[in-house]
Amino acid sequence: MVETKKLKWIFKKDIMVLWRHKPRLISYLLFPIIMITLFGYGFGGTVTDIPVVIVSQSSGPVTDATINAIKSESLYDVTDIINDPNQGRQMVLNGQDKAAIILPSNYDDTQSTTPKNVILDIDSSDEIVSSALIPTTQALFSQLSNQIGVQQLQASGLTPSAATSSTINVQSGNQSNILSNPTTSGINFQNIVNSINFQVNKLYGDISYIDFLVPGVLALVILFSCMFGMGESIAGERERGELARLFMTPTSIATVVGGKILSKLVQETGRAILLIAVAIGLFGIVIAGSMLLTLLLLVLVALCFVGLGMMISARVSTQADYQQIIQPITLPMMFLSGVFFPVETMPWIFQKLAYIIPLTYANDALRAVMLKGAGLGAIWLDIVVLLGFTALFFGLGIRGFNRDV
Amino acid sequence: MKYAVETFDLTKNYGDFTAVDKLKMKVRNKSIFGFLGPNGAGKTTTVKVLTCLALPTSGTATVAGHDILENPNEVRQKIGMIPQMVSLYGDLTVKENIHLCADFYGVPEDLIESRADELMEMMDIKYAENRYVSQLSGGMKQKASVVASLIHQPDILFMDEPTIGLDPTTKRILWNLVEELHSEGRTIILCSHDMYEVELLCDDVGIINNGVLAAFDTPQALKDAMINEQKNIKNSKRSNIAKIVEEIQKEATPEESAAYDKITDHVEEENRDTRQLSVIISNLNDELFDQLKNLSITYNITKESSGRITLDLLDSDESVTEVISTIIMNNGIITSISTKDPSLEDVFVKVTAKKDESGES
Repeated sequence: MVETKKLKWIFKKDIMVLWRHKPRLISYLLFPIIMITLFGYGFGGTVTDIPVVIVSQSSGPVTDATINAIKSESLYDVTDIINDPNQGRQMVLNGQDKAAIILPSNYDDTQSTTPKNVILDIDSSDEIVSSALIPTTQALFSQLSNQIGVQQLQASGLTPSAATSSTINVQSGNQSNILSNPTTSGINFQNIVNSINFQVNKLYGDISYIDFLVPGVLALVILFSCMFGMGESIAGERERGELARLFMTPTSIATVVGGKILSKLVQETGRAILLIAVAIGLFGIVIAGSMLLTLLLLVLVALCFVGLGMMISARVSTQADYQQIIQPITLPMMFLSGVFFPVETMPWIFQKLAYIIPLTYANDALRAVMLKGAGLGAIWLDIVVLLGFTALFFGLGIRGFNRDV
Repeated sequence: MKYAVETFDLTKNYGDFTAVDKLKMKVRNKSIFGFLGPNGAGKTTTVKVLTCLALPTSGTATVAGHDILENPNEVRQKIGMIPQMVSLYGDLTVKENIHLCADFYGVPEDLIESRADELMEMMDIKYAENRYVSQLSGGMKQKASVVASLIHQPDILFMDEPTIGLDPTTKRILWNLVEELHSEGRTIILCSHDMYEVELLCDDVGIINNGVLAAFDTPQALKDAMINEQKNIKNSKRSNIAKIVEEIQKEATPEESAAYDKITDHVEEENRDTRQLSVIISNLNDELFDQLKNLSITYNITKESSGRITLDLLDSDESVTEVISTIIMNNGIITSISTKDPSLEDVFVKVTAKKDESGES
């Protein structure tokens, strides 16, 4: 039987404890606000504003109409219009843009029946972007192809109805589906109507969703493990009086913290190797880049998050406070860093926030190495930023470390 | 080195609360110092600061000749602590914890094993050396903690309520250890609420209250001071009343004067110096009781159950002897006898109550 008076006391006690631990209370209230804001404004389920570059090798009304059509779609954020296909491809390879839409030199030639080869050079390492960009762009050019075809037929005095009923000729990826079509009075209707030959060029080949997820998941596992581990390792030991035992001895904070970091690093590296092995064994993922570089990156990521955990746990006295404080830090980090949603497609404020989150750089570097086969030269900026965060966290952590028990 | 610990206006604040307030204290080297105080008086905070587990807000102290602010690591090397707020690692065995502490104190590798074994034997915990600390009882944990705290042979040992919750046998093991460490020339600083323990072990006692040192001396000197203080209060009362009565009697009639004399006698009687004696006489009878009652040195006598009598006697060195002689001459068999002098607990209660009343902090 439930005893009302006692039940009330238990309820009251829990509320009083929460109220009296202000950092815990603030974090407790802040966490749902942060999460609903993130999902409400940032991750509504629709991908928009994917940065693309248009390579326009022709000029004229069709080109202008095409560019305007692309610009009017919310899916695209046209960052630049250039005329060199190689430069466009390079911009994608550099990570400046997610795709380059390359319009051929004969794009504006409405009289010619030669197919216009439109190429979509896409960063296939980003599965979410690829899966949104390819079908939409394909549909857009199918529509444009029809419109151009109709104009051509009208110009040649033929009825458009016959043409619009024809099958659209689109070349997608490496597959060419050019259909053989009937001809009328020596004019190839199919060639006229399906005047745009659309090709998708996946710059990093076919990458499955699991391939795409593994680098981010690795970084996430390290993030959570390090953050929660440091809470137990420092705040927990402080709470139980075990840390005091060490601090009673002639031992520096740096030694104690250094030992904890070392053990955490070894654990996390081991776990990362295990995770990679399982991903390779069970799901057949392929690491395009250097395995050694991947491991070194994982160690750096672990070091960075151990530093963050240490910085926070250095000043709190109980594990419960620590757990509550890190909640509104770790979970938003997970969603803002591009592990599940591309940073480039987030509202600008979230993009800005993403750039002050170490997980963004960890994710970016790991994807570059594991999916794109990038080397040190391509990810040096990510490494520098991660090292900077690590130094900052350790600096503040050691400085603020409360030796008092 | 004359003093093992010396504090210089040592202050520790927690926000607006002053836990230790300009503390000035000296602990003689190679002594056992009892550090007493009511709960929340600042004992544990003082110990934390002296053991470099907390920084003082102002002031400083020297421990084992080293300044706690300038040379904290030298201090840490010279001290050990049997804790209230410090634990061993629950997921390590007793032996592993001891080895960890030994390495943290820099004990030479070849000495660790022998020292650990010796201390574990001494504390009667050797049989549990391979058990996880989390699996041990409170008393066993305390024993293991003692071994870990002594593995580097510290010059000064801080013991913060070391026997709290321990069974009498374990308490005695710990007390014997304290005596042994003391005989080896180590200084022991013992924080305790167990006055028997403090009286039994300590050379000097300091009582802290509201963050300041309210009393400091040997246990006997503190008790003597209390007896003298009580005597002084009584003398003062007697003297004041006598003066008043004398003044009044100058203008009093003979009848009134006789009445005032009675008042004076009553005051004298109420405030005379007495010594209380408690005796158990196994064959106590009415005749013996009357003999004792009629002694000139007996002011008051009460009979309790089981042959126990309590006497208020004239406070002189011979009083107790006279009572014992009377009992023996009347064939009385004494099974227990004790004087009721002020105990350290009385001193503690008085000192801490006095400070509370005065509102000092």
